[in-house]
Amino acid sequence: MANRFGLPDLGVGLGLRTVHYTHIVEAQPEVDWFEILSENYMQTAGRPLEWLDAIAARYPVVMHGVSLSIGSTDPLDRAYLTELRALRDRTKARWVSDHLCWTGVSGKNTHDLLPMPYTEEALHHVAARVRAVQDFLGAPLALENPSTYVEFATVGGMPEWEFMARLAEEADCALLLDVNNVFVSAYNHGFDPRDYLAAVPFDRVVQMHVAGHTHHGTHIIDSHIGPVVDDVWRLLGDAWQRSGGTSVLLEWDAEIPSFEVTHAEALRAKEFIGPSGGCP
Amino acid sequence: MPVTLRDEQLWFAGAVMTGAALDEADRRLTAGPRLGPRERLDVYRRGYESRLVECLADDYPILKVALGDGPFDSLCRAYIARFPSVAPNLNAYGRHMPEMCGGFEADLARLEWAIVEVIHEPSRAPMTMESLATVPEETWPGAHLVASQALRLLTLEYPANDYFQAVRDGHAPAIPGPGASATVVYRSGLTVWRMGLTPPMRRVLAALVAGEPLEASLSLAEGEPPEQVTAWFREWMSSGLFVAVEPG
Repeated sequence: MANRFGLPDLGVGLGLRTVHYTHIVEAQPEVDWFEILSENYMQTAGRPLEWLDAIAARYPVVMHGVSLSIGSTDPLDRAYLTELRALRDRTKARWVSDHLCWTGVSGKNTHDLLPMPYTEEALHHVAARVRAVQDFLGAPLALENPSTYVEFATVGGMPEWEFMARLAEEADCALLLDVNNVFVSAYNHGFDPRDYLAAVPFDRVVQMHVAGHTHHGTHIIDSHIGPVVDDVWRLLGDAWQRSGGTSVLLEWDAEIPSFEVTHAEALRAKEFIGPSGGCP
Repeated sequence: MPVTLRDEQLWFAGAVMTGAALDEADRRLTAGPRLGPRERLDVYRRGYESRLVECLADDYPILKVALGDGPFDSLCRAYIARFPSVAPNLNAYGRHMPEMCGGFEADLARLEWAIVEVIHEPSRAPMTMESLATVPEETWPGAHLVASQALRLLTLEYPANDYFQAVRDGHAPAIPGPGASATVVYRSGLTVWRMGLTPPMRRVLAALVAGEPLEASLSLAEGEPPEQVTAWFREWMSSGLFVAVEPG
């Protein structure tokens, strides 16, 4: 099943991180694609853009944001959207993604991906904003399922997987399925990740994320540190098989090892998403 | 009356950023399999401050050395309380740090913030000594240089750059006493440089950066040998401090 948006399967990519800039530009390693953190290249006219221009000229790039704040009850930030669109045009990014979350309210930014209450009010609020953003960008927005550590007690709530599926339908948007986030939230909230996957409209999934996490016993933090655990790889294999093939990306954001080690970890995905689509 | 999304967000953000109304967690949030509502909320509260402290430590690594880990952490938490972020990213978040410091630490913070600023300023190809020859002779007295945007000229009350360099070189220098100093911070290509300036160098360079006429600027070297002034000038040109010359 190809995604309904006609967006390509780029293969197995890596999150672009500053510690790897020099190696990438000088050695030009064979990498299918890079995902950039949009905000790292916004509100700057300097060095970050110079690195990015060199890398985007050589590799396919996808943009992944953390400050769209699509769920916030503050107005959409038009200046932010304008800069986001300009960056998309500059890098020729294949698509733009962000998270189902809010990052702040009353004009302040926590720089965290804060959880939504999964209510009817929130669903319609976010769907309207996603449509507005898509109109502005002139392209589908891919929304990522977040990792969360709390759930709201709001009356009339629904499971996250139901919220995501209904949101995608109502907003007609794409999805970025982070299987590590599914795993983390399943542990933190006590649900079965297979129930989550069963509800995902895979024809809307244009990309998947994997990452390492930190297990504290009582809860798991989506720290993007260390190798991906086998349970998450197996979840990726399951999800990828359901999707019929989609772009996969490794995020590694803390104690980042050499480029070679990071890339080798990303390429482990191929063991789980082989042509058979099955898990070893 | 049902709780609105706006109400939930105002409460949650207040709890995370300032610790306001934490006792409402039991009513607004559910317990998880292993943690209660308040413990689950604390995951976000810890993350909020640690993320911003990490950002400030990235911008001010030498100030952190000068103060020590504990005092630097306390300074950052006071900073976060006074200056919540209002921008989509953290590129300019640390800009108020000199205001939060005094004496030597304020000068060191100015130096480190200048480094951040030149990283984010655009850089252009530097002008060359040869391009000076293109200035028509009759316009020479009023000709002036255009400085790179990726340049900051700092006049300080403490020798902050000497301390910075000593730490970078692996030493553990004592916090210096007062002593006037000047440093130009600039970016050439992808590299940020710092260059200490003597008082006459600072006078000349400050005038050139301000767009004062070349001849008048160079005359500020006062008693310095002409060959010395020429050497400074060549070094500044080759370092990329200037991007163009404009006739008078």
